[in-house]
Amino acid sequence: MTAEMLKPRFTGARVTRIEDARLLRGQARYLDDIAAPGMLEMAFVRSNRAAARILSIDTSAALRVPGVKAVWTFADIPITLVNSAYPVQQPVLARDEVRHVGELVVAVIAEDRYTAEDAAELVQVKYDPLPPVLDTRAAMTDEPRRVHADRPNRFYHKVQETDGFQQAFAGAPRKLKLTFTTHRQTGVPLETRGCAAMPDPASGRLTVYATHQSPHNFRAQLARVLGLPENLVRVVVPEVGGGFGIKAMFYPEYVVVAEAARRLGRPVKWVSDRTECLLTDAHARDAVHEVEVAFTEDGRIVALRDHVLGDTGAYPFLGFAGAVGEAGWATDMLTGPYKIPYVSITIDCVFSNKAPTGPYRGVGGPIGAQVHEGVVDAIARELQMDPADVRRVNFIGPDDFPYETPTGNVYDPGSYRESLERALALVDYERLRRQQAEWRKQGRYVGIGLCSFVEPSAFAESEAGSIPYEAASVRIEPNGTVTASFGLGPTGQGHETTMAQLIADQLGVDVKDVVVLHGDTDSAPFGGGTGGSRSGTIGGGAAVRAGQELRTKLVKLAAHLLEASEEDIELTEGKAQVAGVPARGLSIRELARIAYTDVGRLPEGMTPGLEVLVRYRPPMAATYSNGIHLAVVEVDVKTGFVRVLDYVVVNDCGKLINPMIVEGQIHGGVAQGIGSALLEELRYDGNGQLVTTSLMDYLLPSSTDVPRMRIEHLETPSAAEGGFKGMGEGSLIGAPGAIANAVSDALAPFGVFVTDLPIRPEQIVRWVRQGA
Amino acid sequence: MMSEVQTKTTVRVRLNVNGAVHELDVEPRWLLSDVLRHQLGLTGTHVGCEQGVCGACTVLVDGKPERSCLMFAVQAEGHEVTTIEGLTPADGLSPLQEAFQEHHALQCGFCTPGMVVTAAALLRDRPNPTEEEVREALSGNVCRCTGYQFIVDAVLAAAKEGRS
Ligand code: FES
Ligand code: FES
Repeated sequence: MTAEMLKPRFTGARVTRIEDARLLRGQARYLDDIAAPGMLEMAFVRSNRAAARILSIDTSAALRVPGVKAVWTFADIPITLVNSAYPVQQPVLARDEVRHVGELVVAVIAEDRYTAEDAAELVQVKYDPLPPVLDTRAAMTDEPRRVHADRPNRFYHKVQETDGFQQAFAGAPRKLKLTFTTHRQTGVPLETRGCAAMPDPASGRLTVYATHQSPHNFRAQLARVLGLPENLVRVVVPEVGGGFGIKAMFYPEYVVVAEAARRLGRPVKWVSDRTECLLTDAHARDAVHEVEVAFTEDGRIVALRDHVLGDTGAYPFLGFAGAVGEAGWATDMLTGPYKIPYVSITIDCVFSNKAPTGPYRGVGGPIGAQVHEGVVDAIARELQMDPADVRRVNFIGPDDFPYETPTGNVYDPGSYRESLERALALVDYERLRRQQAEWRKQGRYVGIGLCSFVEPSAFAESEAGSIPYEAASVRIEPNGTVTASFGLGPTGQGHETTMAQLIADQLGVDVKDVVVLHGDTDSAPFGGGTGGSRSGTIGGGAAVRAGQELRTKLVKLAAHLLEASEEDIELTEGKAQVAGVPARGLSIRELARIAYTDVGRLPEGMTPGLEVLVRYRPPMAATYSNGIHLAVVEVDVKTGFVRVLDYVVVNDCGKLINPMIVEGQIHGGVAQGIGSALLEELRYDGNGQLVTTSLMDYLLPSSTDVPRMRIEHLETPSAAEGGFKGMGEGSLIGAPGAIANAVSDALAPFGVFVTDLPIRPEQIVRWVRQGA
Repeated sequence: MMSEVQTKTTVRVRLNVNGAVHELDVEPRWLLSDVLRHQLGLTGTHVGCEQGVCGACTVLVDGKPERSCLMFAVQAEGHEVTTIEGLTPADGLSPLQEAFQEHHALQCGFCTPGMVVTAAALLRDRPNPTEEEVREALSGNVCRCTGYQFIVDAVLAAAKEGRS
C-alpha cells in the first residue's frame, strides 16, 4: 500500500456535494418535471369511508367530460396485490368493499390533471357502511368485525423468551410497569409520491419513472404484478425529494398508472397531492408497548418483558407489513446498549380499517429506544438515582464486545459509555443540574433528557430490498474520466458525492472527475436500493472494492509501460507514477487511451478496457452504530408549550466518509424526532376518518421549532470494508426518547412521566393541573 | 356540483416572469405554480402541498416572497414574478447559492429553490440579520431533510460576506 492510500484525500473530508449545483439552480428533474408528448394524467376517486360495501359505481358523467380518456374500476383492472407472508387480497382498485379512507376506487385518465380531477368529482359511488375496526385491542378479538372476512384481525403473533426469564423476573427485588404508546406518524418527504409510465411500442418495453428508494425492487414488483419479463421493464428513478422509508414501498397507484400506459399506448403520469399522501403514504408508529421491568436496588436491570400491540392498517404492504416490521425491530433492539440478560417478548399485530403502515426512518428503532430509555429513566426516578448513573450501571462495557443480546444480535464494538460521558461533558452536566435546580426555584421548568441508542445498520435484510450486498460498476472512460453506477436509490443522502469520494481515493483522481449514476435499471447493476442505512456501508464497500480492482489493473498497466515493478507505482493526482519520481509517470487519461484504443501496448493477457463490476457483501449480518442524544427543554406549564433550549448528539457510525453529510443527516433526523415527540400525529376520528389531511393539521417542525444542535463524532470502526457503519436512522431513533425524557424531567415536580408520543400541549396543561 | 359537460374558458394573460413577458392562454383557475411549471417550463418552483404551508412554491412577486400555489396565474398579471431561475446566474451559482453548497444547506433539494428565494429577499431587506431573524424569515418554508441548521448557517454566512 502506498503512502497516498494511507492518507486518503477525499474519504473522511468535508467534500461539498456534487449534486448541489443542479438542485440549487432549480434544474434538477423530479418526477413531476417529467413531460412527454401526448402524456395523459391520472386522478383517483378514493374511498371516503373507513369500511363499506360498494353498492354501485356510476362513471357515466365522468366519461362525458371532454378530455377524459378512460374511467376505470376494478372490473377494468382486475389486479390484486398479495403479500405472500400474510395473504390477504388488496385489489389495486377496490372490489366490492373498501377498507380504509383513501383506498383507491376509480381511476380517471384525462388530457390533464385539472380535467381528470373534474371528472373524478362526477363519479358516483354508493356505499353501504360497515362498522369500522379502529381500536387495536378490540381488533384482537375480531371486534367489531373482521377487516378481511377470511382471516382473523390478529394476523401475527410471536412469543420469544430467554430461558430462565420467569425465575429471574420473579427473583428481582424491584419491579415497574409502564405502557408506552406511539401514535401514527408518517415520513412526509417534501416531494409527494408519483409515477409516470411510457410504453415504447417499437421495442415492446415499458419505461416507468417512479419516486422510489429501490429501482430494482420496484421493477421486480411491477413486472411480477403485470406479468412482464423484467428485461421489458425499465425503471428510472429521477431526482427524489426525500423518501424516509415511505418511498421504499410499492403502492397500488403504480400498477394502475403502468397498466393505463400499456393499454392506452400513451405516457401516463400521476403525482399525488399532499392530502393523498397523508391518507396513503405508509403510516407508521401505531403501537403500544406494555412493559414490565425487574431490577435491583442499585438500578441494574435484570429482566424486561414487553407485550407489543401493533396496528398495520387494512393491508400489509408487499414485502413489509409495517406493524410486524416495527414491532420486530423495536423488540429486537429492546435491550439497546444495556446488558439485560433476560427478556420476554410477545408481539400481536392486527388489521384495522386505517391506512396501511410501513417503514418510516428508523422503523421500530425510535419506539424501541423510547422504551428502553423510558425504562431506565423510570428506574432512576423510582430509586432517586441520576439517570446517567442508571445508564452507567447497565451499559455494555468496552470489554464485552462482541456482545450477544438476549434477542440474538451480535453487537460489534461501539462506544456506549464513552458517548454518554462525552455528551455530559459537552453540556457540563453537573453545572447544568445545579442550574436546573435554581431555575426550578424561580418557577422555570427545565428538563434534561438522555437517549442512548444502538442503531443496527447495513443488515442482510431491510425494507428496501432484501439482499445482503451491493454492486458497483466502475469504468474509466477512454478519456480518463470515471463513471460509476450503483443500484442504490438516494433521496437526498448525497451518494453522488460519497461514492465518488471513495472511488476517487482508490484511483488517485479528483472527486469531480467521478460521475456516479443511479436510479436507472437499464444502466445500474442489480442492487437493493437505499433503506435500512445500508448504502454507505454496503454500497460504500462496493465502491471501495471496485476502485481497488480497477486500481490494480491501472497499476499493472502502468508498471508494464513504465518498465517498473508494480510495487513502485503510485496513483496520485490523476497520474500513475514511479513513487518519488514524478517524471516517470503516465496520466490516467493516457493509460485509458491505451487500454481502449492502443491495445497492442497492453501487457500479455490483459483484456482491453478499464471496467469492473464488483459485488460486495459485508462479513457480518449487521453493524451497530451507537450514540446518545441529550436534550434540554423548557416547558411552559401554563400553555403546555415545549421549547428545546439545547441539543447535543454524540454519534458513532464508525469511519466517516463525509462528516458534513453525516451531520446533515443527524440534524434532519433530530428535527423529525422533535416532530415525532411534540407535533406530528395522524388522527382518526371515531368513524375512521383521517382528520389530519393537510399540513395545517399534521404539523411539521419549522426553523423556529428546531434548536441549534451540537454534534461530536466518535469513530469505532466496523469490520466492513472501510470500517463504515450506517447512520441514516440513528438520529430519529435517539431524538424522540431524548425529548420524552426531558419533558418528564422538567415536569417531575408534578409527578409526570411521559410514555405517550407525541406530547401535546393540552396534555401537559392537564398533567400540570392534576399534579399541582 | 359542476355542470356535466363543461366548456373550458381560457383567458389571455401577460405574465412578466424573470424579466420576460409571456402571453399565455390560461384557465382562470390555474394556479400560478402550475403555469410557471407546466406552461413556462420553470420547474425550479416546486409544489409540496398546494395548501399554502410548505413554502416550496415560493416565488417573488414584486420582490416579495409569495406562495405561487395560493395565487391564480391571472392574478399575477401586472406584477413582476421572479422564480429561482431568475435568481440564478447564467453560469455557476449566485453567492447565496454558493453559500448553500458550502454549508451543506440542502439534501434532497426539493425545498431548496423556495429557501433560496425566501433568503434572497431577506438579505436584500436585511443585509445583516441575526440568527433569530433568519429562522423567523424561513419559518414558512418547510425542510424535511436538513433540520434547518445548515440552511441558517448558509444564510448567515452569505450575509457576513455581503453576498446574496
Ligand atoms: S406548495 Fe405552495 S406552500 Fe406548499
Ligand atoms: S432538502 Fe429535502 S426538504 Fe429540504
